[in-house]
Amino acid sequence: MNRSSRNHALMGWILILPALTVFVLMILYPFVNSILISFTDRNLIYANAQFVGLENYRKIFSDINTLKLIWTTCKFVFFSTLGPFFIGLIWALLMNQKFKGSEFLRGVALVNWIIPGIAIGFLWSWIFNGDYGILNALLVKLGLLDHNVIWLGGKSTSMLAVVTARTWQMFPWYMAFIMGGLQGVSAQQCEASRIDGANNFQMFIHVVVPAIKPVLTLILILGAIGNLQHFDLINVMTGGGPERATSTFATEVYKKAFKEYSLGRSAALGVVWALLLSVFSGFYLKRIQED
Amino acid sequence: MFQKTVGFKIFFWVFLIMIGFFAFFPQLWMISTSLKPESEMFAFSFFSYFDLSNIVRVLSDSTFLTYLRNGFVVAIASSLFSTVISVFAGYSFSKFRYRGRKSVMALIMVSQAFPQGLLLLSLYPMMQKIGMLDKLPSIVLAYVALTLPVGTWTLKAYFDQVPVSIMEAARVDGSSEWRTMFQIIIPLAIPGMMTIAIYSFVWAWNDLLYALTLISSTANRTLASGMVFTFTGEGGNDWIGMMAASVVASIPVAAMFVFLQRYFIAGLTAGAVKG
Repeated sequence: MNRSSRNHALMGWILILPALTVFVLMILYPFVNSILISFTDRNLIYANAQFVGLENYRKIFSDINTLKLIWTTCKFVFFSTLGPFFIGLIWALLMNQKFKGSEFLRGVALVNWIIPGIAIGFLWSWIFNGDYGILNALLVKLGLLDHNVIWLGGKSTSMLAVVTARTWQMFPWYMAFIMGGLQGVSAQQCEASRIDGANNFQMFIHVVVPAIKPVLTLILILGAIGNLQHFDLINVMTGGGPERATSTFATEVYKKAFKEYSLGRSAALGVVWALLLSVFSGFYLKRIQED
Repeated sequence: MFQKTVGFKIFFWVFLIMIGFFAFFPQLWMISTSLKPESEMFAFSFFSYFDLSNIVRVLSDSTFLTYLRNGFVVAIASSLFSTVISVFAGYSFSKFRYRGRKSVMALIMVSQAFPQGLLLLSLYPMMQKIGMLDKLPSIVLAYVALTLPVGTWTLKAYFDQVPVSIMEAARVDGSSEWRTMFQIIIPLAIPGMMTIAIYSFVWAWNDLLYALTLISSTANRTLASGMVFTFTGEGGNDWIGMMAASVVASIPVAAMFVFLQRYFIAGLTAGAVKG
């Protein structure tokens, strides 16, 4: 190795050093350390911890609530990914028509995604409010309901409520990516398929979807990772309730550690959560390497 | 792209109205509620009032102003540090070749899928040990770390577009590698840096989980977590106050976004798509 290429490599390392320091200190070390905590009975308040082996995991897997937690999390991830995905897709197709005002509508929709989760949580709690919420008022007025529904207090309706809020928040994000993908769709190919006698729908399925498929795959993976991590809206709107009906890994790990102070149990649950996430990050890595 | 057949026109208008209503009515409802006098809280009037007293009430509350100030301090600091660190890292990943580069890149990328709640279980005791619990730098550091993956990869995508020949030409002219970087290469990535600056600002401004746990005193709370405490219990039924606070909390990020939209969307999607 000659001197200039050694200097070159050295500069590369110097430039990466600040990022690497922050990364190791704030992400890598906590990640590894949390895994270690999962084998102890560590408490958030008392410092002395005992090694307990797999005890936390044994407790988790003998607890019926864990199964329910996995199921609830999957439900939340499934609907909160596909809901905004399809709405975002349709909205992107509409906005891509470039009519008067389309840029404005696109921009205003993106406001949903940019504003704080706490504001969105408050807003939808207000809309879904059982006594005075606008949703009940509208549905009763339209004759679709004959009495008020306590949306956030019901075991089946609370999931619907948080998924709706999450859909409202996230569909513009999917739209933005899909609009980027649509720019790469060749007008010639669309034209060609039309000459071959395809109608709009056939052209969409056979020309547009294959062309934007990489973007669609990417946002489905990233969207699922985001939802598997999602905390804000559930915490603000239901806090995981009623009776754990909206309790996901994100809210449960937080609750176990910071309300019940049992770091060890919480960490073990977090490791299971990480394993679930690793399925998606595996897809993600594969997708990146394909490029 | 589509032919304007009758079928398409129906599709277009039906979904424009349905999704449009779903997207925009809640936004307007938030604003409309925040402008109502308290006596009208439960009336279903829509923009019948323009009463700014709720916004004034929120903004004249000294606790809320503390939250607001801390929110800005944390968001600006996170944005600055995150951008600077990401620029260096992105440049290094894009234009340098050294052993271990690919592994570090992959590791940083994958870390996006590390559960944030799990990291927190160690960060909390760690911050406690080094005396940084309930101090603003603790969450700034966390936000810099959490925005790092998207930051480095987005900026790497920008630097990838800069031809190596520019660097070589500068070298031939006798410019040192550092000077080339600061005077020639980094200016070319300014749009990308804007993207990351906004992205990190918004992340820090909006975050709830870390602010809720690592900060414990009223004096140090940021806006998002502060709002949780203001409006739970007794304040939990003050819907007009909640909507007014939500409007105030949304304005900085929404305004920033409206003005800088171009940078933001193109930059972020480019980084993620190109990888």
